Amino acid sequence: MTPVLDLRHVDVDLPLGGFLTRAGLPILRDVNLSVGRGESVALVGESGSGKTTLARAVMGLQAVTAGEVHFDGTAIAGRDGFSRLRRDAAMMFQDATASLSPRLTVGYLVTEPFRIHRQPLPDPARMARDLLATVGLPPAIADRYPHELSGGQARRVGVARALALRPRLVIADEPTAGLDVSVQAEVLNLMADLRRDMGLAYLIITHNLALVRHVADRIVVLYLGRVVEEGPTAQVFAAPAHPYTASLVAAEPKPDPRKRRADLAIRGEMPSVLRRPAGCEFHTRCPLARDLCRATAPDLRPTTSGRLARCHFADHHQEQGDHHALEN
Amino acid sequence: MSFALDPPSRGRRGMGRALLGDPMGLAGLVIVAAFVAMALLAPCIAPYDPVALDVKAKFVAPSAAHWAGTDHLGRDLLSRIIWGARLALGIAITSVGIAGAIGLVLGLVAGYGPRWLDSLLVLVFDSLSSLPMIFFALAVITVLGPGTATLILVIVLVSFPAYARLIRTQTLTLAGADFILAERAMGAGAGRIIFRHLLPNVVGPLVILICMDIPVIIMLEAGLSYLNLGVKPPSPSWGNILAEGYTSLRQAPHVVIVAGIPLVLATLGFTFLGEGLRDVLDPRGAGRRWT
Repeated sequence: MTPVLDLRHVDVDLPLGGFLTRAGLPILRDVNLSVGRGESVALVGESGSGKTTLARAVMGLQAVTAGEVHFDGTAIAGRDGFSRLRRDAAMMFQDATASLSPRLTVGYLVTEPFRIHRQPLPDPARMARDLLATVGLPPAIADRYPHELSGGQARRVGVARALALRPRLVIADEPTAGLDVSVQAEVLNLMADLRRDMGLAYLIITHNLALVRHVADRIVVLYLGRVVEEGPTAQVFAAPAHPYTASLVAAEPKPDPRKRRADLAIRGEMPSVLRRPAGCEFHTRCPLARDLCRATAPDLRPTTSGRLARCHFADHHQEQGDHHALEN
Repeated sequence: MSFALDPPSRGRRGMGRALLGDPMGLAGLVIVAAFVAMALLAPCIAPYDPVALDVKAKFVAPSAAHWAGTDHLGRDLLSRIIWGARLALGIAITSVGIAGAIGLVLGLVAGYGPRWLDSLLVLVFDSLSSLPMIFFALAVITVLGPGTATLILVIVLVSFPAYARLIRTQTLTLAGADFILAERAMGAGAGRIIFRHLLPNVVGPLVILICMDIPVIIMLEAGLSYLNLGVKPPSPSWGNILAEGYTSLRQAPHVVIVAGIPLVLATLGFTFLGEGLRDVLDPRGAGRRWT
């Protein structure tokens, strides 16, 4: 079965704005990522690892420097390709309030996708009401302006708008950012319900590992614009194959602080994309780096447990249990 | 239930109330409304024909028959000032309307369009605004001849670059905003983004700037008319009245004084209104002051 979204060897450079040069910041490098029909994939990594850039590249907001983005089996290219992609895939932005056009009513905003794609919209008021009901908002919200909404309401309006044209894929950038824990749970449950009811596929971008555990079937870990580990969520959490993943998992707050693994903590800052480290790009912060890591860059390759990891010693760590996060 | 599908921004009423609650804005509104009423009702309220001569009654000081006195040809000054309001506001509002529309469209195109077009338009804006205004006006008037149409053309040419630049800056700031990215991600085209999403968000400051510019233009019109380069003499422009009054300043100082008063009042009125609008026009602050 063809995946809904399939990124093949995608590079993205952010232009530096030079007058004559085409040089750019190498944000993403050789990213392969696929999202199957009805699948929920989480993209995790620190700030600056390229998560948001990847989402923008998929939606065509950021030009892809090399590689291909396939949607529903066809490579996206040209105006028609993007128009189709933007009809059948929707993106939810990190800041829900700021992503709503401030001078228009919620009623207009949630029905706008119909107008943009010239889809039949016989009764806008009714459609707005229905869409708002889908996300559990009262009809009166349709008359409000974005700045009159609470964070949770704005997020729901964003979900309603994303679902307007019954997309097959929803890209959600930090869907719980800025929400109270109770509202976070509501939004996540809503997303899970909609996924079940409508057969949506999700690409969820987050650094919130609790969220990943809750909603994702599969997890893709990004470090410095490269995929460093990929696999089913439960397996990755149980036994991370890459030391970076291991440290992310170990850094997650635990109910019992004595169970945190200080030896796996990563130190320092992520290197600049302008001066990518030689060899394994993680070696500057890796607690287990050896000479080989400083000299040779590892490929993303299958581990014995059938996942993908970009580490020379992935299998070794796993056998030795070096990286096993503690039981969840 | 129904919601506004094409809402004309929110709460016009709330905004109006906020403007009325602000003493400066209220004063501006009253003065501007008085001038507009004066201009519109000029034929009804002017006690005399503004161009009718009555040489026997020249340089009459303000009196019961002539509230503002008469000028060197015995024309009633109050009537001339009332008709002058029509001319001054007519020219100012027409030219500012045209300049505002040009500035709005070019600013949006420059701010959201391709880079090369932006550079080209900025070059045009900068070239036009680098010309010294009075000399540019003199040059255009020399070529086209004085008159109301030429005056409006000059004012449009010298004022639209400032509007366009304001709109361009605002547009550039908003072009990277989340809601514009979200619109692009939904597949909205440039036309929809520019006119439905950018325009309503950039037009507020333009309205304020235009309001503050109207007195400048009234002064410019008066100035050029004073130099005999604007409205042709028999027409009762405030500038013409001043120019004519100046020659008889010693004999009859009331001419210059009464012609100066509306100029000062109009300037203050539009400036106050502009500042009042500035305080209330931000949608997020509508109805409440930030103080």
